[in-house]
Amino acid sequence: MARRSIAIYGKGGIGKSTTTQNTVAALAEAGKKIMVVGCDPKADSTRLLLGGLAQKTVLDTLRDEGGDEVDLNEILRPGYGNVQCTESGGPEPGVGCAGRGIITSINLLEQLGAYDQELDYVFYDVLGDVVCGGFAMPIREGKAKEIYIVCSGEMMAMYAANNISKGVVKFAQAGGVRLGGIICNSRKVDNEQEMIEEFAKRLGTQMIHFVPRNNDVQRAEINRKTVIEWNPACEQADEYRALARAIDNNQKFVVPTPLPMDDLEKLLIDFGLVDGVAPGTEVVA
Amino acid sequence: MADILRERERQVYRKGDLQPFQLDCEKQSAAGSVSQRACVFCGSRVVLYPIADALHIVHGPIGCASYTWDIRGALSSGPELHRLSFSTDLQEMDVVQGGEKKLYAGLCELIDAHQPKAAFVYATCIVGVIGDDVEAVCKRVSLEKGIPVLPVHSEGFKGTKKDGYRAACDALLKLVGTGSPEGITPHSINILGDFNLAGETWMIRDYYKRMGVEVVSCITGDGRVDEIRRAHGAALNVVQCSGSMTHLAKQLEEKYGTPFIRVSYFGVEDMSKSLYDVARHFKDKEMMKRTQAMVREELERLMPQLADYKRALTGKRAAIYVGGAFKAFSLVAALRHLGMTTVMVGSQTGNKDDYEQLRELCDEGTIIADDSNPLELSSFLEEKDVDVFIGGVKERPIAYKLGIGFCDHNHERKEALAGFEGMLNFAREVYSSVMSPVWRLTPRRRGSNLEVVK
Repeated sequence: MARRSIAIYGKGGIGKSTTTQNTVAALAEAGKKIMVVGCDPKADSTRLLLGGLAQKTVLDTLRDEGGDEVDLNEILRPGYGNVQCTESGGPEPGVGCAGRGIITSINLLEQLGAYDQELDYVFYDVLGDVVCGGFAMPIREGKAKEIYIVCSGEMMAMYAANNISKGVVKFAQAGGVRLGGIICNSRKVDNEQEMIEEFAKRLGTQMIHFVPRNNDVQRAEINRKTVIEWNPACEQADEYRALARAIDNNQKFVVPTPLPMDDLEKLLIDFGLVDGVAPGTEVVA
Repeated sequence: MADILRERERQVYRKGDLQPFQLDCEKQSAAGSVSQRACVFCGSRVVLYPIADALHIVHGPIGCASYTWDIRGALSSGPELHRLSFSTDLQEMDVVQGGEKKLYAGLCELIDAHQPKAAFVYATCIVGVIGDDVEAVCKRVSLEKGIPVLPVHSEGFKGTKKDGYRAACDALLKLVGTGSPEGITPHSINILGDFNLAGETWMIRDYYKRMGVEVVSCITGDGRVDEIRRAHGAALNVVQCSGSMTHLAKQLEEKYGTPFIRVSYFGVEDMSKSLYDVARHFKDKEMMKRTQAMVREELERLMPQLADYKRALTGKRAAIYVGGAFKAFSLVAALRHLGMTTVMVGSQTGNKDDYEQLRELCDEGTIIADDSNPLELSSFLEEKDVDVFIGGVKERPIAYKLGIGFCDHNHERKEALAGFEGMLNFAREVYSSVMSPVWRLTPRRRGSNLEVVK
C-alpha cells in the first residue's frame, strides 16, 4: 500500500489532537505503521500516544544541540502501537516565529531521514488557524495529500472549517492536496449530524464520521491515554475504530467549494441553531 | 532616446519640454526598475554611523551588518567605536525562537567591553516580521547599564531610504534634551547633516570658530553622544543634508523652539552664502565683519588656483546623480563656476520643491530624473555625450563601463569636497578625471584632444 499523508485541521479547541491520536491508535491497533508529526507550538499532539509530555521537541533539540548534532532517535519516539511520535514545538508564547519553526523542523525531519522508514501513514496535527505560510507547510507540495477538518455544529467551528477549505482550494491548485472529509466531533448541538452532513455536502465533500460526545475520552486523557489503549472495550473506542476504517477506505478526495458567508449563515438558520428572527416577531411566509 | 519604463515616464523631465513641469517623486520605486536607492535600514545606518562614541548594533542577519560596515568615510577626532560593525547575527533558530535574548546578551557584552556613551539598535527586516520587542530590550539594558540605548525602527521593507533617515532622526530626538545646556552662548549652532567625510566637519567647524559662532554639536559628523544630548541648548540649527536632517530640524523647532536654516557647504557661492546667512541670523555686526574678512581671505587664496582648472574645463559636460537634491543644487552651481554645464541631474530622494528649484537652475535641455536606474543613467550619459559623471559608489561602474570620467561625491569618498578648500579639491578631481588621457583609448572618445593646464 502506498503511504498516505494526512493533515488534520480545525478550529482551536475543537479536539484535533484528541481525535487524531485516537484515530491513529485505532489504525495502529489494526496493524498500520504510522508517524505523527505534531505541528503545534504547545507540543501536545502526541501526549496520549506517549503516555505524557515525554517528548523533547525538534526545535528545543535543535536549539540545545545545533543542527549537526541532532540524532533522529532523540526527537522521534515510539508510542502506543509503535506509532512514531515527533513534536515540532515552537518558541515560547509571544516571541519569535512559530510558522518558521514548523518549516525548520519539517526540513530537519526530512534531512534526518524520518520519512525514509516504512510507513503506511503520516499524520500532521496542525495548530487551529493557518495564520501564516509556516502553518501551511504540511500541505505544501510533497507533504500531506489529504486533509480532514474536525468540526462541530457550533457556528465558529463551521466558520473555521469553511475558512480552512478556502486555504485548501489555494493549495489544491498549487500542490495537489485534497479534502478527504469533515470529522464531526459532537458538541451535542441540536440537529448537529444533519447540519454537518449538509455542510459537508455543500463543501463538495462528506462527513466522514460523527464522533459522539462521551466522557470516556476525558477519562482516558486524564490517564494520558487514548480510549483505545485505556479501555479497548468501551463504546467510544469503537467510534474511533469506525472513523479509522472510514479514513482507511476513503476514496472521495475533492477540491472543496467553500460557502459564501450568507449561505453559511442560512445553513445555521435552516437547521434551527440560530433564531433568524427576534422572539415574538411574526414570520411572513 | 533613453529607455524609460512606462511607470517611470513621469519621473523624467527634459527642460524645454512643452508640457507643464510636473515631476513625480517621493514614491516607492517601480518594480523591476533596479533603483539606485538603498533600503530603510541603510538610510538609518548612514545617518547615525558617524557618532563615534556610540555602540552601533545591527539586530538582524549578518548580511545587513556586513553590507553597511564602515560605510562612510566619516572621520573621528577621538574614539572610533563607530567603525566597528556589530551584529546579533540572527540565524534560523533565532528567527524561530525570537532574537530578544540574543540582543540582550549582545548588548550587555558589548557595553561592558567598550563602555560606549550610548547604543543604537537597528531593527532590520526579519526583526520586524517576527515582532521582536526591540523597544523593551533597549529599555531594560538602558536601565541596567545606565546609558541611553536607542531603538532605530529601520525595518528595510517599511519604505524608502528616506524613511530610514526619519527613523534615525526619531532615535536622535530621544537623545537630544537629556544633557544640560548650561554654559552655551547665545551665538551657538548645531551643524546638522554634515558627516565629516574626509574631515569636512572640521573645516566647517573652523569657519564657524573664526566667525565667533559656538558649535554645540555636529549631527552627526565626528559626533559625540554628550554633545548631541545638549543640542537643544543651541540658538540655531544649520541644516546641510536636507533629505536626512530636515525632519530632525523641524522637530527641534517644534519641541525646543530652535529655528533652522538650510545651507550648503559645496561650491564657492553656496559656501559663502551659508556663512553669511548664519552671521545674518545672529544680527551681530562684528560677526558679519569677521565673516566677510574670512570669506575674502579664503577666496583670494582659492580663485587664482581655480582659474587654471576653469580654463581647461570650460565647455565640458557633466551629469549628476546623488542622494539628496540639495547637494545637486550646489553641484550645478559649482560646475558652472568651473565653466561646465550640467546636462543631466537627478536624485534619489528629492521632493517637488527641490525639482522645481533644479529646473530653474538648469539650462535648457537638461534632463532631470527622480529615483533613476542604471539603464536610464547609461542612456542619458551616452545621449548627452557627458565628460564626467558625479555620483556615488553605485554610479561609478556605470561611468567607467561607458568610458566616462567620474567624480565620487558620495559618502564613501576620501577627499574633502566641502568648504573653500573642498572646492579646490573638487575642481582638481573633476579636472583629473575629465582630462585623463585614458578616455582617448576608449571606443567612445577615440581621437579627442588632450589638454593640459600649464
